[in-house]
Amino acid sequence: MSAILKTEKLRVEFKSTEFRQAVKVALHGLDLEVNAGEVFGFLGPNGAGKTTTMNVLLGFVPATSGTASLFGIDVRQPIARQRIGYLPELTYYYKFLTADELLRFYAKIFGLTRAETDRRIPELLKLVELEHAAKRPIKSYSKGMQQRVGLAQALINNPDLLVLDEPTSGLDPLGRMKVREIIQRLKNEGKTVFFSSHELGEVETVCDRVAIVHQGELKTVGSVADVSAGSVNLEQAFLKIVGVQSQPLP
Amino acid sequence: MKASPLLLLTALLALAFTLASSLVTQADGWSRRDKSDNIFGMMFGDGRKLFANQFFTMADVYFHSGYYPSIYDRGGKDSEIVETSHGHTDTPDDEIKEDFFGKPKDWVDAFGRHFRIVSHTHLDRGTEREILPWLRLAADLDPQKTETYTVGAFFLSEHLHQTNEAEAFLREGLRNNPDNCEILFALGRLYNESAHDITRARNVWELGVRKFLLLPSADQKENKIVFDELAVNLARLEDKAGNYGQAINWFHAAQRVSPDPGALQQQIDVLQKKLDALVPVVPGKLY
Amino acid sequence: MNKIIALAGVVIKELYRRKDFYVLFVLTALLTVAAGAVNFFHDDKIVRYVKDICLLLIWVSALVIAIVTTARQIPAEREARTIFPLLAKPVSRGQVIAGKFLGCWLATGVALLVFYFFFAVITGSREHLWPWAVYFQAAWMQWVMLAIVIAMVVLGSIYFAAPSSTSTISFIVVVGILGIGSHLKVIALQQPEPMQFILTAIYFLMPHLEWFDLRDFVVYDQSLVSWSALALATGYAAVWTGIFLMLAWLGFRRKNLTT
Repeated sequence: MSAILKTEKLRVEFKSTEFRQAVKVALHGLDLEVNAGEVFGFLGPNGAGKTTTMNVLLGFVPATSGTASLFGIDVRQPIARQRIGYLPELTYYYKFLTADELLRFYAKIFGLTRAETDRRIPELLKLVELEHAAKRPIKSYSKGMQQRVGLAQALINNPDLLVLDEPTSGLDPLGRMKVREIIQRLKNEGKTVFFSSHELGEVETVCDRVAIVHQGELKTVGSVADVSAGSVNLEQAFLKIVGVQSQPLP
Repeated sequence: MKASPLLLLTALLALAFTLASSLVTQADGWSRRDKSDNIFGMMFGDGRKLFANQFFTMADVYFHSGYYPSIYDRGGKDSEIVETSHGHTDTPDDEIKEDFFGKPKDWVDAFGRHFRIVSHTHLDRGTEREILPWLRLAADLDPQKTETYTVGAFFLSEHLHQTNEAEAFLREGLRNNPDNCEILFALGRLYNESAHDITRARNVWELGVRKFLLLPSADQKENKIVFDELAVNLARLEDKAGNYGQAINWFHAAQRVSPDPGALQQQIDVLQKKLDALVPVVPGKLY
Repeated sequence: MNKIIALAGVVIKELYRRKDFYVLFVLTALLTVAAGAVNFFHDDKIVRYVKDICLLLIWVSALVIAIVTTARQIPAEREARTIFPLLAKPVSRGQVIAGKFLGCWLATGVALLVFYFFFAVITGSREHLWPWAVYFQAAWMQWVMLAIVIAMVVLGSIYFAAPSSTSTISFIVVVGILGIGSHLKVIALQQPEPMQFILTAIYFLMPHLEWFDLRDFVVYDQSLVSWSALALATGYAAVWTGIFLMLAWLGFRRKNLTT
C-alpha cells in the first residue's frame, strides 16, 4: 500500500511564553505513515501533539525540522491540499452566507466547474441532511447543523484524504452516529480518513489503524487489535501507554 | 430577603424624583447653555464662536473659488473678507494670497499642485450667492460678530440686488448688537445707495455718529475708521442735498480721525467755494 | 485569480448583508437632503454648500466603510476559526491577502458608486448640470486612494489582533495625512534638529493621500485635472498599495495562526 500522508522526523518547536524556557518542543521527530483507503485514528491526551501534527500537515504551522507530505507533495505547497478535505473542531462558518453559498465559495477555491458544483452541492446537502436549510443563513443554524455544514465543505472536492479534528466533539448522540455513518461510507468508497478523537469507543468502531502520541512522541502505531493486545479494550491500552493506571471506583 | 424588581424600580424612580426636585434650584446656575436662544449655543456653548470664525473663513474660501492659503501658508493669521466703501470686496492679505503658493518646494509639492486649485478667481455674475450659507451660519453661531452682517448685506445688496434681504440681515445684526456703528453705517449705505432714501440714510448715519460718541475713548480710538466713514458719507450726502455748510462740518469732523486730512481739506475747499457762490450778491450803488 | 475573486466575493456579500453601508448611506442622504432643504435668504439657487457637505459625508462614510470592513477581515477569520478550513484548501496566504484586499476595495467601490450617483442626482436637480467627467475624476481618485488605505489596513490587521485598534490607528494616520500631508515640510522647517530631519523624511516617505482629494474641483466648478496627472497618481497609488500588500503578505506568511 502506498502512503498518502507521511511525516519524517517531524519536529516542531514553539517560542515559549514561560519564564526561563526558551522553546517548547511540541513534536520530537514524529514518523507517521497513513496508507490509501484506511481509516486512521490519531490518539493522545490533551497537549500530546495531535493538533500540532494536523496543523503542520495542513500548512498552518511550519515544521522546525523534518518533512511532512500529502500525496508525495511537501505540505508547504498549497497544491498538496488539492485532494484533501478538512473538518476542524468547532468552527463557526461565515454566518452571513447560506450553506449553499458557503459550499459554492469553497468549490470555487478548489476550481470546480459550475456543472460539477451544481451536481455536488445537492448531493452533499442531502448527505448531511441540510437540504431544508440550504438557503438559510448559517447564523440561524444549531451547533449540530454547523458541524454538518462543516462536514459538507470538507467533502466538496470529493477528497481522497479526509482530515477530521475531533469530528464528533460537541455533538449529541444522534449527531455522532451520523458522523460515524459518513466516515464508514467514505471508507467503503475507498477514501482515506485521518482523524483525531478522544472518543476511544468510536475509534475502536471505525478505525483500521491507530497511532497514540504522548508528549510529542509517537508511542505506538498499528491495528486496533494489535494496539489493544494485552488489554481489555483500546481505552485500557491507551491509558497504559500514556502511563495512567485506571482506578476502580470505590 | 428577595426584593421584587418592580418594587426596586419604583424605589429608584422615587429617589430620582426626590433628587431632581431638591437639585433643580441649584442646577439652575450650573450651566448657561440651556438658556441660549439658539440650538448652536445650546450644543457648543462658547465654543460656537470658533465655528463661527471658521464658517466666516469658509465664505472667504468660497469667494476665492477654493484658491486659498491654508493655515500653514498664512502663518497662523486669520483671514477675513472685508467690504470697503468704494465697493471693492477683498481680503486684507489678498496680495499675499496672490502668490501664496510660491515656487514648488520639491517634487511632492510640484506634483501635488495638479490636484489643488491654483488659479485665483473670484465669484461673479450672481455666483456670489454661494458664500451666503456660511455667513448665515456664522451669524447664527456668533451673533456678536458684526462683520458677518456687514459683509453679508454688502453681497446681498451690491452683487445680488436683494435689498430687502440685506436690510433684514442688518436689522438682525442691529438687534443682536444694538449700539454697533459699523452695522449702522452699512444700513445707512444700503438706504443711500440701493434704496436711494437719503432721509433714512442720514438718520441712521447720524445715529451711528451719536452711538460712536457714546463709546469709551479707547473704543473710539479703535473704531475711528468707522467714524471717518460715517462722517465722510454724511458729508457727501449733505453735499448732494445741497447742504454745503453741513457737509463742511462733517468733513471737519472726519479730519480729526482721517489718515489723510489733506485730501479732505481739498474737498472742504471745493464745498466752501460752492457755499460762497450761494451767498446772495448785495446790489451796490449804481451811481 | 479565480481563488482571489472567490475570496473577494465573500467580502462583497458581507458588506451588502451587513447594516453598516445602509446606515451610512441613509445618514448621508438625510443630512444632505436636510442641508439642501434649508433656505438661505430666500435664494434657491445656492448649491455649493450642499455639494460640500454631501462630499464630506461621502468621504467620511467611504473611509468608515473601507477601514472598518477591512480591519475585521483577518481577525474575524481567526476568531471564528474559518481561516483553518480556508487555508486547508489549495489557497496560499498571499491569495488570502489579495482576496481580502480585492473584496474590500471592490465593495468600497460599489458603495462609492451609489454615493456618487446620489450626489449627482441631488446636486444636478438643483443646478441642472451634470459634469460627469469631473465627478468621474473625483470618484476615481477617491477610490484609488482607498486602495492605499485598504492595503494599509490589511497590513495593520495582521499585526493588531483587535479590529478596533487597527481601525483607530488607521483613522488617525489617514486623517493626519489628509490634514497635514502636504504641509509637513513647512512644519518640518520650523522644527529644530533632529525633528526637522525626521519630519522631512516622513514627508517624502509617506503616501500622499491628500493628492487624491478632488472635492474642491467639484465644489468650485473647476476645470478637469490633467488626465496624465491622474494616470500618474493612479500609478503612485498602485505602487503604495503593492508595498502595503507585500508587507502584509510577509507578515502573514510566517504568522502562527494557532495562538
